[in-house]
Amino acid sequence: MLGFAWSFLHPVIMLGLMFILFSARLGQGIDHYAIYLLIGLVQFSHFSSSTNRSMHVLISMRSLTSDAIFPKELLVIGSVIADVIELFAAMVVCVTFAKLSGVDLSWAVFALPYVFLLQLMLVLWVSLCLSCLYVFVRDMTYVYQAFTRLLLFATPIFYAPSFLEKGAAQYIVWLNPLAHLVGFSRSVILDGQLFPLHQSILFFAINLVLLYGSIKMFRKYEPIFAEYV
Amino acid sequence: MCSMKPIIHFEDVSKAFSGVKRHRITKVFKKYLSSNGSDSGRYFALREINLDVLRGDKIALIGSNGSGKTTLLKLTAGLYRPTRGRIDIDGRMLLLRGVGTGMVDELSVADNIYLYGIIYGMERSRIQEHFDEVLQWGELTEFASAELRTLSSGMRARLAFSLTRHFDTDIFLLDEAFAVGDKDFREKYEEVFRSQKDGNRTYLIATHDLEFARLFCAKTIWLHKGRLMAFGETEKVLQQYIAPKHAILAR
Repeated sequence: MLGFAWSFLHPVIMLGLMFILFSARLGQGIDHYAIYLLIGLVQFSHFSSSTNRSMHVLISMRSLTSDAIFPKELLVIGSVIADVIELFAAMVVCVTFAKLSGVDLSWAVFALPYVFLLQLMLVLWVSLCLSCLYVFVRDMTYVYQAFTRLLLFATPIFYAPSFLEKGAAQYIVWLNPLAHLVGFSRSVILDGQLFPLHQSILFFAINLVLLYGSIKMFRKYEPIFAEYV
Repeated sequence: MCSMKPIIHFEDVSKAFSGVKRHRITKVFKKYLSSNGSDSGRYFALREINLDVLRGDKIALIGSNGSGKTTLLKLTAGLYRPTRGRIDIDGRMLLLRGVGTGMVDELSVADNIYLYGIIYGMERSRIQEHFDEVLQWGELTEFASAELRTLSSGMRARLAFSLTRHFDTDIFLLDEAFAVGDKDFREKYEEVFRSQKDGNRTYLIATHDLEFARLFCAKTIWLHKGRLMAFGETEKVLQQYIAPKHAILAR
């Protein structure tokens, strides 16, 4: 019945809960904390649901994987692209809410499509690796579920990166690509500033290499998928 | 018309499957830890197959369940890799298994025509061009906007087969693809195959329907427990197949 709205319902409920729990302490000193939360949640839920769906796509479309002759990476790419539309819509909602709640939007907002591109690359190579692995190891569902739980806390969604103490905690967050992406979006929406260009170019380059590697790996194992699905 | 270079060439092809599919992490680890590579459940679905198919051949693939028909088709299609031996293919191909593989129940008949066509390599413009005719041939014109799940299995078969007629490729691999449908449908699809009989396209058709083999396929392959028992003129092979004891003893 709700259709498209379902994809917003989960982040909105999480947003409400986190706002009630954290705004007094963790949210102190963060302007527009609700929008800050919303951006983080939208990007995190897109990443986790999209990679999760794509991981299963070769099995859920078993008949195509095992019986049709075509490049199977198209199934994964198709699944990822279908979810990007939701991310796009959700980000439009974020920007609209930001404007309504008095954030001073600047031209930097127009850099958001670039952030989408980066997130798309990240989701794509992770999905290609996961979907390939899942054909051979069905337990990946549980392993990945546990991993995304941990990722929720390792991404600065309800806290600011500066909140972390120096050392291991900061290092973990720094290694988390999603943390950088969320940072980029917040920078262009909330601060009205472009993110550091060299940082985003490095991010692009690393993810491009990983994407290339994952396509190579996927193609290497593709000829034996049909035996395992 | 036909060059003598085979379009499908099998050289000593064997295909083994592992009896256990390793789907749990612990099992995958165990496999690597034990590292001796022993695989107790391993069995051969096909053994030492030598085969040359020429362009334009219409070949029936017969044999009891588990004889290796599907494995042979999937090896040809490149969906399985041979455990031993070599396969050369000189052309584009399509594998059709079951009715409407890839069609989606929640989409309309019209959307499914596009989806199915694109999966099997048709261009959008070509689908558009044949769209009305596909519905007409399948007697489904009034169902164009109905969801696919509301169609009976016979109607689905008509829809899928109707579009299949427009697929353009060198080699068709069919696996019992259209074994459903009533007498009228059967007459219609036999008509289509008859019109293809002398064409340049190559067909490899796994079937239990010996009448169909007689009607459409000049040659027949008989597989039994993964071995090639006979390959040649359909009538001769069918005679051997129908008196199997004879043939097995003779071998």
